[in-house]
Amino acid sequence: MPEDEAATVQAHVSGCDDCAARLAEAHGHASLLVFTVKQERPAGTIKAELLARVRANRQSEEMNEWPSRVYTEGHENEAKDAGKGASSWLTWVLATGAVALALVSFGLSRQNRKISAKLEQERKVAEASIREREQIEKLVGMLASPDTMTVKLAGMGEMPNASGMVKFNAKAGMVVCEAENLAKLPADKSYQMWLVPMSGAPISAGLLGPGGHAWGNMWTADVPANIQAKAFAVTIEPAGGMEQPTGPKVLLGAT
Amino acid sequence: MSPQGATGETTTDRSLLARIGKKDEEALSALYDRYSGLVFSEAKRILRDAGAAEEILQDLFYQVWRTAERFDPAKGSLAGWLLVAARNRAISKLRRKGGITEELHENGVSLGVDVESHAAQNLLIEKVRAVMKTLPENQRQALECAYFQGMSHTEIAEKTGQPLGTVKTRIRSAMEALKKVLS
Repeated sequence: MPEDEAATVQAHVSGCDDCAARLAEAHGHASLLVFTVKQERPAGTIKAELLARVRANRQSEEMNEWPSRVYTEGHENEAKDAGKGASSWLTWVLATGAVALALVSFGLSRQNRKISAKLEQERKVAEASIREREQIEKLVGMLASPDTMTVKLAGMGEMPNASGMVKFNAKAGMVVCEAENLAKLPADKSYQMWLVPMSGAPISAGLLGPGGHAWGNMWTADVPANIQAKAFAVTIEPAGGMEQPTGPKVLLGAT
Repeated sequence: MSPQGATGETTTDRSLLARIGKKDEEALSALYDRYSGLVFSEAKRILRDAGAAEEILQDLFYQVWRTAERFDPAKGSLAGWLLVAARNRAISKLRRKGGITEELHENGVSLGVDVESHAAQNLLIEKVRAVMKTLPENQRQALECAYFQGMSHTEIAEKTGQPLGTVKTRIRSAMEALKKVLS
């Protein structure tokens, strides 16, 4: 609601109980949306900080009352005990110091939390960079390794013009695939690559396209190490992939 | 954990507030345990920033501590006030407007349902989520834009390319559906 309109509404409801009740009800209904949100707990330190803050506030309020009380008491008892007023003032000074310390502590704690959050964020960025660098090193190492074989894939079935190339390192259990001229699939379908072993059922070598592990225009996947491949194939499967191929083959290549 | 009284019943917000008014830290602690999750989750959903959400959370409860005696339960529920105040502050922060600081004695909020225990909150979560699932996507989106992003009906119409009247109808229909949760 625009600010001027909000101000008009506010001015009205402050003098109209009926509309105030309706507005309260509307706010309440809208607030129910909060219950659709993923419920999370705040950090435990927040409560500790809050309680430290309220203690400081309470002491501060008590401090505000003390000087006048101490002053009055000091005058009433001046004749009886001149040292008592001084003692009370000392207590007041010490208590004021304690409050100031609590407030400083609260401020530092909040600042510390912000810095910690920033550091945590930077740590995650640094870790992601390290992971990315490790992936690149692994990929370069694999492509340069004499153990890596190249398998050309030819289009078939619905996509005779498609083509591709697989780099496969059985020792490392790593597959890299590059494909061309594959048609865009509907959202509920995925291209899935398969390693066909010398014996046994095909093994999924990941998805090509959204959902797959892409590096530039290459897709990489890890498969169990030390499995000798007889062929590689790409099929069309339901989005997210299947455990075993169910759809039509669009690329195939023997080792 | 819901704070329990000697009889084993959940201590009401009203009695906790009365104790907070007398500067009872345990009462504040119990109230915090009861609602901090909801308030934090709401602010974090709006701001997508846990640190900023925690600041709002702490400031709100500190305000409750300082001004508890001014709260008038006849005007609405404390839980409702906390949720609306947290939402307004988060939206204000999100849109980089000046600070908003509603007072506890100002506009009331009638939640219309008991959320004074975690069991009641969990039950409501189930009910509201079930209702939201039944809403058409466009109604749900319009409502979320308005509530979690603080967008006006006009802004939503511009964003979605829909006529203003359509946006208003969608939000009204979604609100009507939400009201059914309470019936």
